[in-house]
Amino acid sequence: MTTAAVVDTVAPTGEPATAGPRPGGLGDLRTYNPLVKILGPVPVMVFLVTTRDVLTPALVALAAIAVLAVMGRLRPRVLVAVALGALALCLVMTFSFGLLTDPATVQDTTLLATVGGFDVWSGALATGLATAVRTVALLMLVLLGGLTTSGADFVRALTQQARLPYRIGYAALAALRFVPRFSHELEVIRGAHRVRGVAPGRGPFAAVRRQAGYVVPLLAGGIRHAERVSLAMDARGFGAHPRRTDRVTAPFRVCDVVLLVSFWAGGAGCAVLAALLR
Amino acid sequence: MKTLTTRFLMTCAAIGAAMGVLLIPANFVSAPLAASAPMAYAPLVGLWVIGPVLALALLRRPGAAVLTTFVAGVVSSASPVGAWSIVTCLLAGVAVELAFLVTRYRVWSAWLYYVDALVFGALYVASGWAAFHMDAMAPAVLVTFVVLMMGSFLACTWLGRLLARRLAKAGVARGLVPSRGDVAAGEVAQDALR
Repeated sequence: MTTAAVVDTVAPTGEPATAGPRPGGLGDLRTYNPLVKILGPVPVMVFLVTTRDVLTPALVALAAIAVLAVMGRLRPRVLVAVALGALALCLVMTFSFGLLTDPATVQDTTLLATVGGFDVWSGALATGLATAVRTVALLMLVLLGGLTTSGADFVRALTQQARLPYRIGYAALAALRFVPRFSHELEVIRGAHRVRGVAPGRGPFAAVRRQAGYVVPLLAGGIRHAERVSLAMDARGFGAHPRRTDRVTAPFRVCDVVLLVSFWAGGAGCAVLAALLR
Repeated sequence: MKTLTTRFLMTCAAIGAAMGVLLIPANFVSAPLAASAPMAYAPLVGLWVIGPVLALALLRRPGAAVLTTFVAGVVSSASPVGAWSIVTCLLAGVAVELAFLVTRYRVWSAWLYYVDALVFGALYVASGWAAFHMDAMAPAVLVTFVVLMMGSFLACTWLGRLLARRLAKAGVARGLVPSRGDVAAGEVAQDALR
């Protein structure tokens, strides 16, 4: 078995190889290049962090949710959860950050209520709302790429387009298989500790002590397993050649450039619209 | 590339995978927690530096922190933020790695880890300052927030170093760490070249 086969059989989702557009076409955000989806909105995020009003981030958040709804191809339940979550986050943050606001700076606004010794000023709530909407907008831009891109796809795009050495990329993909291995190892260590009576006793303190006792053996077992895997990889000639082929490709096409430009145009458009409406 | 042996890569991958598993629940919890109770979120931020500190303290090789966090990001991408966790993890890894890069991987004393944690903590607070509009907060709240975050970074740096010491004692990664004799010999050879 070649190293390519080793890593490919351990790929978690077993996606089909894609040399061209996947089913779903241009309207499916999942077919776009992961680098564009993850790193494309970063300039918009940096701009958002510098804003202090409510309207600009609100427009950006709405635009991101709209794109996610139309092009995200999410299950309806996930989409509803995202929309409701954003709304709930907004409400909770308005109050929690409103309470954290320095009362001295908002004394000239109206006192709305007193909750358990805390005075709720309208100015404080306005500051809280701005922070809340800004955070929600940032979160939506993160989810735009996050919900439609798996970590493994991003790694593939990094090795294929961003010149990341493929040995590093494939080490990360192989590490995904360590996770089930850890849970097996944990069972073994737990059993061994129980047999030898390590950290016996009942109650929360004994439980914490027991759990803490698992950490070092688990890490040591994991690292030793990794060393055996590395021997197997070396024996099969992993990294012998400067370049390698990939079973799953992450193409960078014209539509990816269009998406990148439209991210920036969308951000600029929201800023201009907010300035016009103000 | 020569120092990037497969054994070193996979050892970092194992530490990264363990850190990634730890970060999956943290990814789920951190966003709602940061929103509803920023004070409860502040102590969590240190979780992101345990892995890189552990890898650097155990392996003492260039790139250990960045590699570990890269793998941790890939493994912890099984959360709603998806591939974004790679970016956030890498930021932490680069921050931890920078202090050792600046000292050209010559200094491995404890103080450098803690200075690194303090500087990185300060930068992190500064970035949160803009995002959370922290200049509008009450002074007492601010002080608590900053102290909790810094304390979290310092405590997790201590924990990472402790785990590395325990692992080294168990004989893990033996032969992977450049021994002190080798380092000294290398320095002598370099001095002779000058």
